[in-house]
Amino acid sequence: MTDQPSYRRRVSDTAAALRLCLWCLLAVAVEIALFLSYRGHDSRFHWFTHFFVGASAALLIMAVVAWRRRRPVRYPLIWPILGHLIAMFPDILFAQGIAHQRWMDVFLGHLNTHFMPGRNLTWYLVFLATLGFYLAVLGRIRRPLPAAALGAR
Amino acid sequence: MTITRHPPTGRGLVAVWLVLAVGLGSLLLVAGVAEGPLDDADQARQRPGVLDLAPLPVPAAPVTDSVPLSGRPAVVFFTSSERLDGLCAAVRAGELDADVAIVTPAAGPTCGTAAMVADPAGRLAATYQLRQPDGGGPPVGYAVVDAQRRVRYATLDPTTAEHLFEVRTMLAAL
Repeated sequence: MTDQPSYRRRVSDTAAALRLCLWCLLAVAVEIALFLSYRGHDSRFHWFTHFFVGASAALLIMAVVAWRRRRPVRYPLIWPILGHLIAMFPDILFAQGIAHQRWMDVFLGHLNTHFMPGRNLTWYLVFLATLGFYLAVLGRIRRPLPAAALGAR
Repeated sequence: MTITRHPPTGRGLVAVWLVLAVGLGSLLLVAGVAEGPLDDADQARQRPGVLDLAPLPVPAAPVTDSVPLSGRPAVVFFTSSERLDGLCAAVRAGELDADVAIVTPAAGPTCGTAAMVADPAGRLAATYQLRQPDGGGPPVGYAVVDAQRRVRYATLDPTTAEHLFEVRTMLAAL
């Protein structure tokens, strides 16, 4: 005989996983499109820098928002993509014939981040650290807080 | 959308971190391996897209009697004999609003109105601040000179012929 609640939960989990996969595929497709948009620059290097920088900044903000709201952020895959778009915006201008200028560092350090010691390897490690931080926050908020942390007297 | 309808488990979170660490690390590794011998060992200095990256600007040495001239921007291409045909075709079609010189390690055929110069010892490339390619040998790339005869942009670029609009962008930024 079928255990109805357990069966419904499995179906619900599968549906959620499929939905997540679709979002992941969409995010990957967007990132591939951004990679291919680098007509004016060497995408192998520039895409990585701006992805790691933009996604790291987004993950830090996501961690703060998740911690304050006590739940995961909505649309978690959109945030890193938005961060990436901000960081690479001068490259979009470059593809339209506008060369880089120093003030474009306002876009998450667009120029100077390339010259970080260790280059993209360093940004990769920064990205992994911020990802770990965000995931640690998620792991923390799924546990109930002690009464003292909730302000109970 | 949240990640799942149920709270993520600790193992699930670690799995997400590991998948992204391995996936992006592998891509980074592949990108590093894909760099060719003519690329700059420091990718941050290849096609940076910004003028006056240190040590620039520097005075531009004469390539020929007519390049560079005061009052006219110039582009000095550095290429190999094997790449000369492709570059020449691109330059002819590209209609750059600047005087053009093409420097090769050995004397080559003519290329429209571009001045052709042989530089077997690579002295011109060094003067124009082109860096040594990762695999050694003569650099392949270009330098942009402003109307005051200063080198404002210099980069290795083994595929210049495929994206000459980038040269136009840097000329427009002078």
